[in-house]
Amino acid sequence: MGEHSNWPEWVYIGVVVALLCWVGAEAWNVERLVEHVPEDAETIKVVGQQWFWTFEHEDGTKEIGELHLETGKAYRFEITSTDVIHSFNIHDYVVLLDAVPGRVNTVWFAPTEAGVYDIQCREYCGLIHYNMRGTLYVEDPT
Amino acid sequence: MVLELHKPRPVWQIMFSTHHTDVGLLYLITSLGFLFLGGALALAIRAELFFPGSQIIADSMTFNRMFTVHGTTLIFLFILPSASAVGNYFVPIMVRYKDMAYPKLNAIAFWMIPPGGALIWLGFADFTWYATPPYSVISAPGPAADMWIFGLKILGVSSILGAINFVVTILKCKHPDMSIGQVPLLAWSFLSSSLIILVALPTFAAALLMLLTDRLGVSGFFNPVLGGDPIAYAHLFWFTFHPEVYVLVIPAIGMMYEIIPRFSRRPIFSHSSGVAAFVILAIVGFSSWAHHMYATGMSFTEKTVFMVGTLAAVPASAMHVFNFLATMWGGRIRFSTPMMWAVGGIALFFSAGAGGVVNSAMPLDFVTHDSYWVVGHFHLFVMGTIAFGTIGYVYYMFPYVTGRMYHEALGKVHFVLAMVGTVMVFFTQHVLGLFGMPRRIYDYPPIPEWVAMNQIATIGAMLIGISMAIWLGNMIYSSGRGREANMEDPFGLGGKYYYPHQQKNPVH
Amino acid sequence: MRYMLGVVALMAVVATVNLSYAATEEPGEYLDRRTEIWNLFFRMMVVAFTIGAVVSGTLIWLIWRFRESHPKAKPTKYEGVDW
Repeated sequence: MGEHSNWPEWVYIGVVVALLCWVGAEAWNVERLVEHVPEDAETIKVVGQQWFWTFEHEDGTKEIGELHLETGKAYRFEITSTDVIHSFNIHDYVVLLDAVPGRVNTVWFAPTEAGVYDIQCREYCGLIHYNMRGTLYVEDPT
Repeated sequence: MVLELHKPRPVWQIMFSTHHTDVGLLYLITSLGFLFLGGALALAIRAELFFPGSQIIADSMTFNRMFTVHGTTLIFLFILPSASAVGNYFVPIMVRYKDMAYPKLNAIAFWMIPPGGALIWLGFADFTWYATPPYSVISAPGPAADMWIFGLKILGVSSILGAINFVVTILKCKHPDMSIGQVPLLAWSFLSSSLIILVALPTFAAALLMLLTDRLGVSGFFNPVLGGDPIAYAHLFWFTFHPEVYVLVIPAIGMMYEIIPRFSRRPIFSHSSGVAAFVILAIVGFSSWAHHMYATGMSFTEKTVFMVGTLAAVPASAMHVFNFLATMWGGRIRFSTPMMWAVGGIALFFSAGAGGVVNSAMPLDFVTHDSYWVVGHFHLFVMGTIAFGTIGYVYYMFPYVTGRMYHEALGKVHFVLAMVGTVMVFFTQHVLGLFGMPRRIYDYPPIPEWVAMNQIATIGAMLIGISMAIWLGNMIYSSGRGREANMEDPFGLGGKYYYPHQQKNPVH
Repeated sequence: MRYMLGVVALMAVVATVNLSYAATEEPGEYLDRRTEIWNLFFRMMVVAFTIGAVVSGTLIWLIWRFRESHPKAKPTKYEGVDW
């Protein structure tokens, strides 16, 4: 001990810290961009309960287990739960947020491609958690 | 401290002993027993997920109970007690004291583990090792859930008693000639992890009581129907259990600090940098707990704070890796089984850490949170780093405990199979998470990529299972029939620096 | 004085970083979170795999070069010494 030079370790720590600063700055910036909700986003109320999803559009129409949206529009989900914690997830569009009873969480996205996508629950919520799935239909505006 | 070879004793003499090596032996046997039990559950879970649909497990409730008990067992009944086993054997010797500071307290701390383990296994709760309210309050079936809460309560007290004992032994009972800076790094790892336990654990202990009264219906701390907040539980839980992650990993790193210099035939590159990294980790570990909770609807500011807090823990971990590599540089390394496990552990420690950086980068949490990525990530820590370090250390202390040598070739087969298996299971699970598979699910839709990757993971898990069976056979056979170890130099490293044997501890 | 200079330099850095990031803001269309997030992920993977290659390459080289059966292996000066 003590007879070797320490500067390689300091250089190494410097490199690690610099890389972490880069990671932090990049992540911070992307998060800032994706959290900025467009003003004309339509609100969809999402309710999770054991073990299905309910959606309510701005015009009051309700859907259970499936959700119909249009490309070229922005949507803002207001997510809550009536019983236990669930997690609302459209993996293909990287939408993920917990449905917490007593709270309303918001996340937004704008679908770009027409198609059929999976909606799933990603927080353990009991017996049929594994099958708490829904379907997102994205259609081109008519 | 040859226990069995030259002087066999009846079992009850060991069981009712308060001597640190006897308590250490009890810790060791108990923790390995629970390792095999918890591992068997993991194999069943992997077998169930081999195909979509129902395979060997009858229903989702049984499956949910199995992954809950799997996680609880391996964290609280394998990793923590196995670290205590190593600490009991080595810390008093390293600080040159005759025993732990409080031998009776030590025995009491151990004897709280069997009842705690029995409550968890007989109850078989289903609310995950995280016991999320309001599910755990309004939905989880009793008495399993209540038994889990009591079991964890007992194990928590046991941890605290053990931690007090280690802190006092190291700080107050070390030899007067020995400055705190000269305390070996393995003992330093126990000092820092014990201090983390003392600060972190009481929070969870309180949360458990609140959970229990919530379940009894007399309070509503976490129940939104009664005005409570389930996210408050998440904060209390992770305030304990993010630092607890460091409690689990720090002793394993300490074990590597013992193995790697011995087998490299060089002292550790920088003792002071190892100490500094332990201390920094123990402090910075408290600044990152809510990175588990980005998805609960935290604000941008909160997320930023906890991302920075998480990234701040990385340099300290990186210092350990540097120290290991720099120690091996210029050594003459003998790759006996313990060294292979330690080096494998370093490689996987890096991968696990890199995955952790990705998790903490805020927007990427939308991809990885509660997916199989997370399962792969933390298993690289608990299996790839902690279990690897611990298993390597069990091989290392095998001659010390039994006076005999294990079978070297079987030890190497064990390592190779386990390494291949670990990479197959947990790296595949990272990718599976990127494809969107949620964790904690009993069944999954037959998406071709999901099926293929689940099958690769299951095959890897079976490899690990086979390797562990080989290990069990090796340990049982060798402890009775193994070749007698050369206690001056069991690994043929050509020196008289087989550390534990240099200091003979009299049985009192 | 040096302290003040340091603070000024830091402020300059923060301002520059802010400006360069702010310049990329205000996408005309709705921002596609898929693209943003996965791009970030792949940028980080490029770095992670590069560092991983360096670290594991070093580790593998150390294992190969300093194994005791290597032709150039020589006893360390600590062997046989009580350390």
